[in-house]
Amino acid sequence: MTLERRQFVTESGSRVFRVLEENLIFVSLLAIVAFFGLISDSFLSLTTLSTLFNQLPALTVVSIGMTLVLISGGIDLSVGSVVALSAGVIGAGMSLFGLPLPLAACFGILAGTLAGLANGGLGAYLRLPIFIVTLGMLEVARGLAYLVTDSQTVYIGAKIQAFAIPWGGSGVSASILVALTLVVTFEFLLRSTIFGRQIVAVGSNESAAEVSGIDPRRVRCTVLVISGLLAGLGGLMNAAYLGSADPNAGLGLELSAIAAAVIGGTSLMGGRGSVIGAFVGVLIVSVLQIGLAQIGITEPTKRVITGAVIILAVILDRWRAP
Amino acid sequence: MFFPNLRIVAKGICKSFAAPVLRDVDLEIPPGCIHGLVGENGAGKTTLAKIIVGLESADVGSLFLDGQPYRPTNTAESLGAGVAICAQELSLVDDLSIAENILLHTSTSSLAWIRHKSANERALRVLDVVGLESASPGFRVGKLSLAEKQLVEIAKTLATDAKLLVLDEPTSALTAPQAERLHGILREKANHGVTVIYISHRLGDVLSVCDRVSVLRDGKVRLTEDCGALSEKALIREMAGADADFDALRRASESAAPLHLTVEGLRTSKLPHPISFSCRRGEILGIAGLAGSGRTELLNAVFGLDKRLAGSVKIHKEGGTTEVRNPRQAIKSGIGLVAEDRSRDGVFRNQTLAFNVTVAELGRVSDRTGRLIRSKEASAVGKLIDALRVQSNGVHQKMRELSGGNQQKSMLARWIHCGSKLLLLDEPTRGVDVAAKLTIHEELVRLRDAGITIIAVSSELEELQSLCDRILVLSNRRLVAEFHRSDWSQQRILAAAFSEYAREGTSVTVT
Repeated sequence: MTLERRQFVTESGSRVFRVLEENLIFVSLLAIVAFFGLISDSFLSLTTLSTLFNQLPALTVVSIGMTLVLISGGIDLSVGSVVALSAGVIGAGMSLFGLPLPLAACFGILAGTLAGLANGGLGAYLRLPIFIVTLGMLEVARGLAYLVTDSQTVYIGAKIQAFAIPWGGSGVSASILVALTLVVTFEFLLRSTIFGRQIVAVGSNESAAEVSGIDPRRVRCTVLVISGLLAGLGGLMNAAYLGSADPNAGLGLELSAIAAAVIGGTSLMGGRGSVIGAFVGVLIVSVLQIGLAQIGITEPTKRVITGAVIILAVILDRWRAP
Repeated sequence: MFFPNLRIVAKGICKSFAAPVLRDVDLEIPPGCIHGLVGENGAGKTTLAKIIVGLESADVGSLFLDGQPYRPTNTAESLGAGVAICAQELSLVDDLSIAENILLHTSTSSLAWIRHKSANERALRVLDVVGLESASPGFRVGKLSLAEKQLVEIAKTLATDAKLLVLDEPTSALTAPQAERLHGILREKANHGVTVIYISHRLGDVLSVCDRVSVLRDGKVRLTEDCGALSEKALIREMAGADADFDALRRASESAAPLHLTVEGLRTSKLPHPISFSCRRGEILGIAGLAGSGRTELLNAVFGLDKRLAGSVKIHKEGGTTEVRNPRQAIKSGIGLVAEDRSRDGVFRNQTLAFNVTVAELGRVSDRTGRLIRSKEASAVGKLIDALRVQSNGVHQKMRELSGGNQQKSMLARWIHCGSKLLLLDEPTRGVDVAAKLTIHEELVRLRDAGITIIAVSSELEELQSLCDRILVLSNRRLVAEFHRSDWSQQRILAAAFSEYAREGTSVTVT
């Protein structure tokens, strides 16, 4: 079927169509931006951009980790809770123990990494179903986040907000720069390094990967550790944006991250995906949220539309690469 | 055409997959007869069985059941007509209980409630018959041993009350007493007019339980005779056919070449009897045996895929010897495995040809920091696919778009890229067309001439005889014989392959 369609495209000589098809998600993003720009007077403004940039960093770094895990054939449902746990550790460290920000941040990221290591150890080495292991970790990390914050939002203040406050009027903050740098770094890791190839190989055919001398358990464990580490970093970004550690932070974030990855062309079956794509997926999800809010769509309707967009993305993806 | 006195009649059955599997097969079996079907691997026995129960359809030819034209398109239809199969590949659902499995087939309607009590009672009755009386019908099938599963499968077939039973290797996992018991049941059924088609490697069993037997070779029925007049020796002779002359593709092996691989006392959970052999540099060593005789398991054990229970696998190099314990060590010491099930254990079908070739040794196409150099990869892979004549639209074509033969050649390319010195090839030409088969053969000889050692498993004796310097024969997971080019014949190899399946007390000797 693919073949027939491709032939049709070539025969019709529609180069434009082919270019559009190959860059479908970029085109979709532009279309969404254009749509809101036309409908709403206030959409194409600096306010929108800074709202976007505020929300973006945490979801972006979490989506990077999620994308790697999905490509390896796994899934990590714990990331939203790990974000809260890391934020909680940072908040508690700074407010209760008076730790300096860098040290507290290290502890927060370390907490995320340990959660990832637990996921990886149980899922990859003990061969427990990764869906269930990370589902359990979703509860464990959320509970720990409540414990370290004593179920209160811990106020941190200006010290941490510096990380998320845009420089001048540009809208660009340290958070955003770190997130973008990580997108580029991990896209490179995935596309152009031996380790990236191994992730794709394990997700594409685990058994063949083993016969090819790759240790699937090590690869699966490593991507879960990376995912935990990035979720830990996401916790720092979340706390920086709020200026406090909220134990309810990151609720449902794992689903947004999966949605962003899938919109960006990552296969839930493993073996295919892209970090840049996931980033564009993050942009699509975020722009959609902000734009719909601005044109006065209510929260329930917003959720219906966002859900429909995710399903549409999967349908388009199936149509492109069956 | 009517055959009122015959239970099942097959007329001119032909079936081809890539190549012809069945050619003009005729079969006539009366009620109450146990009819044996024997033949070497790939002779077409299982395909014929599948056609009779509607799992495959014949390209040409017709079937008659009790004189009526009969053309089932699935097992529900054949069951409705009173024909049941006990398949070689077990069809049990691991997560259901024994009773549920047994009655999966027999419930009158899919909407019918499963009555657990009566189900259990019925299950108990048939389990009792096959000798699994100790098992509770509510027990989950997934927890049973292979032999017990096979008994459940048999019980499931018997529970259908069919008038024609097709049993494909029903005793492959059973002990001798369990098999005896089954044979008693079959005789009992036959006395009540049930017809049985009995497919087995165990020639002694076939001769003792069957009334008549047919020998299939290359998809044709070569012989159908009453068992009384036959011996195992005669069956093997018919299965092997006349010994043809195989023009050797190569010179006699140089026995002076240094040792490359020694395997000593190797044992895994799938190979319970210790296996020892060695292999010299530049040798092509064949491994023959029937399906399920442990050939694939032996290659996997050498490669370190299956956990080793005892023994050692050593690679000899000029600098000394290295022990191989897992696939990574195997690859490092220069071993490559081309697995039998290419799509499961070899090919990354959604990735590119280049990805597939370089995946086992990415160091050669990257810099010291682990960064891939795409131009280097493209040129390395390009050279290899030219040398191996892999037909593709270039190194970036998706693997799934290549034909089976070209996929197989790229598996060879993967190990050549790795610089492997010892290739373990499991059915290297299965599922490839004739032309690709020849180029693969030529390529193997070229590799051997370049100093690469090859250990090849094949179900086709002709292939092994034309390629190999030496052939090891496995039978029932034991290493039973070793033949050199000077002393082998198809009959002797087959006799060895069947030897461990003979019933206790009888031994097969063919001269």
